Amino acid sequence: MNYGPLLFLGVFLTLASSWCGLVLIPQLQLWKSGGLEAVKLEKTGEFYPPMRSGLAEHGREVYRANGCIYCHSQQVRPKGFGGDFLRNWGQRRSVGRDYLRDKPVMLGTMRTGPDLTNISLRQPSASWHMLHLYNPQITSPGSIMPPFRFLFETRKIRRMRSPDALDLKPPFAPPPGYEVVPKPEAQLLVDYLLSLRAVTPLPETE
Amino acid sequence: MIILWLIFIGSLVLLPGTALLALRWAVRRGEFHNLQKAALSIFDEEEPVGLVTDHFPGMEIPDANRRAPRDP
Amino acid sequence: MSTPNSPSMLQALSPSDSGELEQRRVLFAEIDASCRLPVLLLFVSGLTWLLIGTVLAILASWKMHNPGFLADWAWLTFGRVRPAHLNAMVYGFASESAIGISLWLMCRLCRVPLLYQWIIMLAAVFWNLGVLIGVAGILAGDSTGIEWLEIPSYASPILFFSYALIGVWGIITFRFRRQPHLYVSQWYLFAALFWFPWLYSAANIMLVLAPVRGTVQAAVNWWFAHNVLGLWFTPIGLAAIYYFIPKVIGRPIHSYYLSMLGFWSLALFYNWNGMHHLVGGPMPAWLITVSIVASVMMTIPVVTVAINHHLTMAGHFRKMKYSPTLRFMVFGGMSYTVASLTGVLMALRSVSEVTHFTHNTIGHAHVGMYAFFTMVVFGSVYYIVPRLTRREWPSAGLISLHFWAAALGMFLYITALSVGGVFEGLAMDNPDIPFLDVVKGTLPYLRIRTGAAFLLAIGHTAFLINFVWILARLWRPYRQATPMIIAATQPESGPIKP
Ligand code: HEC
Repeated sequence: MNYGPLLFLGVFLTLASSWCGLVLIPQLQLWKSGGLEAVKLEKTGEFYPPMRSGLAEHGREVYRANGCIYCHSQQVRPKGFGGDFLRNWGQRRSVGRDYLRDKPVMLGTMRTGPDLTNISLRQPSASWHMLHLYNPQITSPGSIMPPFRFLFETRKIRRMRSPDALDLKPPFAPPPGYEVVPKPEAQLLVDYLLSLRAVTPLPETE
Repeated sequence: MIILWLIFIGSLVLLPGTALLALRWAVRRGEFHNLQKAALSIFDEEEPVGLVTDHFPGMEIPDANRRAPRDP
Repeated sequence: MSTPNSPSMLQALSPSDSGELEQRRVLFAEIDASCRLPVLLLFVSGLTWLLIGTVLAILASWKMHNPGFLADWAWLTFGRVRPAHLNAMVYGFASESAIGISLWLMCRLCRVPLLYQWIIMLAAVFWNLGVLIGVAGILAGDSTGIEWLEIPSYASPILFFSYALIGVWGIITFRFRRQPHLYVSQWYLFAALFWFPWLYSAANIMLVLAPVRGTVQAAVNWWFAHNVLGLWFTPIGLAAIYYFIPKVIGRPIHSYYLSMLGFWSLALFYNWNGMHHLVGGPMPAWLITVSIVASVMMTIPVVTVAINHHLTMAGHFRKMKYSPTLRFMVFGGMSYTVASLTGVLMALRSVSEVTHFTHNTIGHAHVGMYAFFTMVVFGSVYYIVPRLTRREWPSAGLISLHFWAAALGMFLYITALSVGGVFEGLAMDNPDIPFLDVVKGTLPYLRIRTGAAFLLAIGHTAFLINFVWILARLWRPYRQATPMIIAATQPESGPIKP
């Protein structure tokens, strides 16, 4: 008895069905409903989601390369589902359109740290982010977020302190005569963090 | 996008069609007979039913290989 | 490297032409000899990846409660070490061992020696190369940022090429089989061999090479990631359990009918499950509902498998004392039930509301990947390697140590993260608790996890020593009078036929 072709077909069909159902149909559905296009907002006449600046787009690469996704999500669950609204992580739930320009989409599956969908509203200060990235213990004692000191450079002060130098107090301060300045990657990453917000009301969120 | 559509339509026509053909073929050939024989297919003269084939090095399983299998 | 008897590639595709080969009865010893090089190569490289993965795991786990530890090098930051660990384990250790086990099982079940060894050797070399470049790429910061698919686009085609070789080999061997009756393990193996390349190539194309837009990516991502476990590791693990438990205790599977039901219901439902990783996320609601329903349907294959294994083992549990393979297999089989049933629970919206985004998920992933799959791999290796080398395992004590370290380590790991994750989730959903306090509340559990990781590492070291030792014995003529495998087939052992 030769089960071979039968086995092959069965195996083929089962996976094919889920592929059509979970992968293709959502794609087609989104495409048909216009969910894959930016929308023009009536009030302001601007397109949503907005283009990110080139700098922020590069900062996204730093975010990806250093695996921030393994501790931070970027999605706000609906009101009443979990503590997302109560913790002020967002004023509306996230919808598919928020992610149109993202490659890859970094929804995240862990919240070892807080959700970052709207971090630019919660922490609008670039210098806060710099200090926090340099060493989270400065801003959030007891945090388990790793320090990203390798995104910064400790160097001798020449003539004048750099305007970008971090304002570090002991015990975090570098030795006298030295300063800590962000490398370009840190600057880009902060640009990216400051571009993160998804509050614009959309037809599908009302 | 066009490729996705082609794959999609192709799948819709081809998949159920081939599935039906395969089923017809299988039933005709009597593929669904004799399931129990398949369960025994991993045993043969070399390693028959009742033979315990693994134990810790240096350890003997007391009498295991001298008894007919005990079926509850 | 092909033997004089082995047919040409062309003949391979129509085996009926090779009448001469059909005549001879193939002995297990012949199969083992033909598998020796390729399967040992896969096992040895798998073991190497296991050790690399263990080191990365301990690093990542330690960093979670001591964030300042080794934090000054970019390539050792937590966000790189963690995906490097996952990929070294999943594509290095687990996949290579899975392929090795599948090859040997396929040959045994089809009753053919391993044909075209060079295909497999070549594939193994390329696979290792792919994983090595991939893991190095992740540490260098080139990760794709897509969970379970972090291996950068310059390494994944190597993996795919290597896989294609194995797939072709699988089809040839299957065409060549001498045993006309298909055993349930063959269904699982064949399905897995076919599912994996589809999953892997579809996901890589749709996410990395020509990414689809927006959150469809997330759908593809979890369709893939969940199915790697469900349609690649699970079938191979179950194939091994379905073969080894009956084989070791010398008793056919209790109900072959149930095993078939289990196979087809797994094939039908498992691959729809993935979206439950996105409950509450920005996805169409129907998509997630479908996945939740499919996840609940998973009870059918799981319960059938559990009942079947239990009834097969009934009256033979005592043999676990004597057989290392049986011990690991039964532990793995039971974990499969636990993993799947808790998985069903976690897919429910009300449970997911709490456990999603917490360490609970990580604990759950390890029930599936370690307590189930990895234990099955260990059990299989303990059975297969003595037959390939015709040597006994040098130390029974080390096998025991390995088992108990792994079992205890896993128990600690899973309990800590499952319980800790629920508390973390409850605290996170309660806005009166400041976030930093939620973080601090997880610390004890994270420390226990590191302890568990060290226990597992002890087990892996014991495994390594035994493995190197048995390989070292290959260079010595075998002196013991009756190695286990030969003893088992000697007539004076007097097996009684049923
Ligand atoms: C080991 C897990 C971990 C990793 C990896 C991690 N974080 Fe965090 N993050 C945390 C934790 C825990 C907190 C909360 C305590 C704090 O503020 O430090 C946090 C807080 C934050 C905050 C402040 C959020 C708020 O609501 O105040 C930002 C911004 C942030 N992280 C950005 C990043 C970026 C960017 C990366 C990657 C370069 C990253 N994190 C990597 C764990 C992590």
